[in-house]
Amino acid sequence: MSGNPWSIRVMVLAGFAGMVDSGYVGFHSLTGLLIPCGPAGGCDQVLNSPYSHLGGVSIAWFGFAFYLAVTAAGIFGLSGFRQVFRFSLIASLAAFLATLYLLYLQAFVLQAFCDYCLLSALLVFVILGAHLALRPWNRTPESA
Amino acid sequence: MPKASSSKKQRSGARGKSGGRKNPSVAKPVAILAAVVAVALGAAFYLQRRADDKAAPAPAPSAHNTHSLISPQGWSKGNSLAKAVLVEFVDFQCGACAAASSRVANIARKHGSRLKIVFKHHPMQRAHGNAMIAARAAEAAGLQYRFWEMHDLLLQRQHEWAKVPDAQTLFLRYAAELRLNLARFRRDLWAKEVGDKIYRDIMEGQMAQVRSVPAFFLNGKPIPNSRDEFEFEQRIVDGIRSLQ
Repeated sequence: MSGNPWSIRVMVLAGFAGMVDSGYVGFHSLTGLLIPCGPAGGCDQVLNSPYSHLGGVSIAWFGFAFYLAVTAAGIFGLSGFRQVFRFSLIASLAAFLATLYLLYLQAFVLQAFCDYCLLSALLVFVILGAHLALRPWNRTPESA
Repeated sequence: MPKASSSKKQRSGARGKSGGRKNPSVAKPVAILAAVVAVALGAAFYLQRRADDKAAPAPAPSAHNTHSLISPQGWSKGNSLAKAVLVEFVDFQCGACAAASSRVANIARKHGSRLKIVFKHHPMQRAHGNAMIAARAAEAAGLQYRFWEMHDLLLQRQHEWAKVPDAQTLFLRYAAELRLNLARFRRDLWAKEVGDKIYRDIMEGQMAQVRSVPAFFLNGKPIPNSRDEFEFEQRIVDGIRSLQ
């Protein structure tokens, strides 16, 4: 792994932003109140659709768990535990696939988009990009 | 082989050079992570509370001051000119609502000439994952003048759709049974105006301090629900009398 501390910092920042975003949607799902929506305008359709919950839990909380894991990986990575990126890379790939599926649902099934979900999708792409820049699968002497 | 041994040497060299970094303390990143998560959760909670405060600027009314907050508009049956207006807040996925619907239908049959019954949505989305799409299905049917038919179907067959992951497919089947225009129903199911109408009902329920469903208000005054059909009917009849 070649250093690249900027990509680790990007990962931590994106993870933090993701925790705020998914936490906000998650807290709203607990109250059941109307969530304010921005330009996308379809938050209520998306966040109240049957796809918005898994086993009775809002998928925002699954997103929160992912962003927490990424933030943890970034913070531990900055402290020298670089091997954690191998695990967070797997989580990021899984999140990337889940994001593609959720974007497909929004575009073709629900035909509505939610700002918070689009922001989350962007953050997942950024996090995956940061992992690819880190190349954690490439064990170089400095990082081993 | 030589390549592998040189690589091993390089690695052991690297270990030697950065020996201090190889056993970093766990305490520091754990503390930083705990702080970051606390800040993120705090920010999310603060933003959510602020958004709720903006959405509901009016102070919460007392239980006896709900008359002006509950409008008599909505899907209705009975005498539309009656002085007595019974407003019901219903979640299609709630078992008590399904049980109460026969009591309400009975009251509509017996006292419909002196009473207007108005339906309001109050899907408890936290507990009932399909409640919102069921409300949407009823409204989408309503746009084709079949609200009450879909209302009855949803409550009668609640056990069929309440726990399924894809309730939409079942609701399309119900729409076909009611001979609705399916293309229009599918489009209306996710229409913004349908969602807005349901949210207006939800906001009205929140302003009227609806905490459980079904909730009944006779001319703004809360009427406690009762499993006893006679007792519930008597409460409504007493209420109608007091208004005349």
